[in-house]
Amino acid sequence: MSAEPADVMVVGAGGAGAVIAKRLAEQGAQVVCLEQGDWVDRQKLPKAHLDWEVRGRRYWAANPNVRRWPSDYPVASFGDNPIDVYIYNAVGGSTIGFAGNYWRFAPSDFKMRSLDGVGVDWPLTYEELEPFYDVNEREIGVAGLAGDPCGPARRPTLLPPAPVGRPGRLLIDAYERLGWYWWPTEQAITTVRYDGRSACDHRSYCPFGCPNGSLGTTDVTYWPKALKLGVRLITNARVRSLTLDSRGRAQGAIYHDSEGRVHEIKARVVVLCGGGLGTPRLLMLSDSSRHPHGLANSSGQVGRNLIVHVQSFAVGRFDDPVEGWHGTWGGTVSTRQFYETDPSRDYVRGFIMSGVGGYSPLNLALQLAPWGPDHHDVLDRYLNHEVCMYLCGDDIPEEINRIELDWEHTDAIGMPGVKTFYRLGENSQRLGADMIRRARQVLEAAGATSVRDFGLSPIWGWHLMGTARMGGDPATSVIDRHNQAHDVPNLYIADSSSLPTGGGVNPTSTIQALAARCAEHIWDARRDWQGAD
Amino acid sequence: MAYDRRQTDVGTPQEGGAGPYRDYRFEVGRAEVPVGVPRTFKVLDPQRAASLRGWVECLVPAQRGRPSAAEVGAAEYIDATVYSASGLRETLLRAIDRLQALVGGAGGGGFAAADLGDRTRAVRAFELEDRSGAFDMVRDFTYEAYYAHPVVLAALQRDLGWDAVAPTRGGGMEAFDESLLHRVKSLPARYKEVR
Repeated sequence: MSAEPADVMVVGAGGAGAVIAKRLAEQGAQVVCLEQGDWVDRQKLPKAHLDWEVRGRRYWAANPNVRRWPSDYPVASFGDNPIDVYIYNAVGGSTIGFAGNYWRFAPSDFKMRSLDGVGVDWPLTYEELEPFYDVNEREIGVAGLAGDPCGPARRPTLLPPAPVGRPGRLLIDAYERLGWYWWPTEQAITTVRYDGRSACDHRSYCPFGCPNGSLGTTDVTYWPKALKLGVRLITNARVRSLTLDSRGRAQGAIYHDSEGRVHEIKARVVVLCGGGLGTPRLLMLSDSSRHPHGLANSSGQVGRNLIVHVQSFAVGRFDDPVEGWHGTWGGTVSTRQFYETDPSRDYVRGFIMSGVGGYSPLNLALQLAPWGPDHHDVLDRYLNHEVCMYLCGDDIPEEINRIELDWEHTDAIGMPGVKTFYRLGENSQRLGADMIRRARQVLEAAGATSVRDFGLSPIWGWHLMGTARMGGDPATSVIDRHNQAHDVPNLYIADSSSLPTGGGVNPTSTIQALAARCAEHIWDARRDWQGAD
Repeated sequence: MAYDRRQTDVGTPQEGGAGPYRDYRFEVGRAEVPVGVPRTFKVLDPQRAASLRGWVECLVPAQRGRPSAAEVGAAEYIDATVYSASGLRETLLRAIDRLQALVGGAGGGGFAAADLGDRTRAVRAFELEDRSGAFDMVRDFTYEAYYAHPVVLAALQRDLGWDAVAPTRGGGMEAFDESLLHRVKSLPARYKEVR
């Protein structure tokens, strides 16, 4: 290990860390990235195998308690509405198991407090983030269509929309009957050959891995470029704590390698990208006499304000076959008809509804089919006859929703796991009830003979946000508008934990745009850190 | 994706084995057992192996030209899984022995030798009394072995039109028709301007 500090050390090679590393290396910074997981063996992606559904329930399971990769730490869930946590610890982070839904936030998402009197405002606006959405979308390769009246005008840089198939046509017909807005869903999927990646070949069920490489996971988008630019990526590097110098500036990290050996690494700037659980966990683990409640936690907000989105699925059954096995899983057509606050409703903020295909055989059997003589009849009634809708709504941050270290359940080298505590707030419950009701309305308008839904429990833990949030006031936030820690000037946090509110859409696009913006600020501020050692 | 019927169990692996209910899901993450591979029993003795075959046949019987779970190797798959996830072996062994006792008490002759109706009644009784998680485990493993097997997937395609190969090999689709957006494009903007 060289004694010379790197310019920038990134912790976490996921959706945000990849952006930071690549963007700064492009500028000429020396970047090192510590990732506690490893590269995913693409030969082992579930979808490379006919028994992909089974593989998806075992080593590819999104819940780390089930999957138990060497890089995983245990997560226990508590509270009135415990979260079923879905995270991946690997190069690519949780993007390796995402569906590719790739929305931009709406301008109002940045102003929840001002517009609706709840939650908090972001310390920046949509307009300030917009250029970085553009930059990031070009890197990822995003399919969609400019001109959606439910969002601000934008440059037509998108790849063609994904085919919608018969499920999508059924939903389009429903929206047209209802007179509602709809639009092809934006997805981080290359629908044509793009930037050396293959065009999507419509295998669907994208969270089970895309052997084709057209799903925009950062192990196939940012990382190959970042490595070519000279980023030093150290995998299987489990960070134990961040270190400070005598002046209280971030100095680097102490980490364990795959054999458990301890290493220290130094850098002039440290960027935390460990995600909504991993980042506050590491801040809490990095407590010291100077930071007795965890690093950068003078506000007491580290680990608090956990937001997860109000999520559910509604599923319509149709008499005719729906051919729901192909296309993209992440969404065919979607609506933001109910996205903005409407005073006539009994809640603030709103939600999206995103059409999906139909459930696959094993998934469906596990959900519905009884064992015994009636088994085949039930499966036959539903398989190839269902269209699913993914539902996602805004969740208002509350301090009571939080994470804590779990010293009773530890990882492979004895570092603590995480406890989550979550209660679905009253506004979120009302929003969720209406969201499901509206989804039923769409499916019935599409001709469904029956509709089932998943209610609001369990809490789907795909989107874990807000636990080291940005804000203008150091008393109520952890980082400032440039993702810079209020308490430690050369420490940045640029991942889902930094989002003060989560909008009502899948957040990866916004997380990555924010990371690109953060990288630009770090580079612009290089006079502050170059020569600081 | 919404996945199975018991997603509210979100504890930690350690908690999965603490009580009388053993949640198999916390123990199979590293048990990589490909489906559709010919294999023999490694954990179960011949009598218990026969009983497990009889059990999985009750769960998914042969019907309308589709094989039973036993015919596609579900019992061998379960055996291979508990071979890899050894913490589950005892749960399985006890469950099989309990089924043997249940059918024996009803008519004698052993579970494997009983007819499908008697076996089904015994399995139903075991489902009602089971507090160990064994029933859920065997049912779910049976479904895994069944719905990932090439013979079954081919039958689903034949009977229901479900293309089970497309998710791994892909295929062509008609491009999105932008003219469908004619009405929506004419609508006024529907988002809140923020100044």
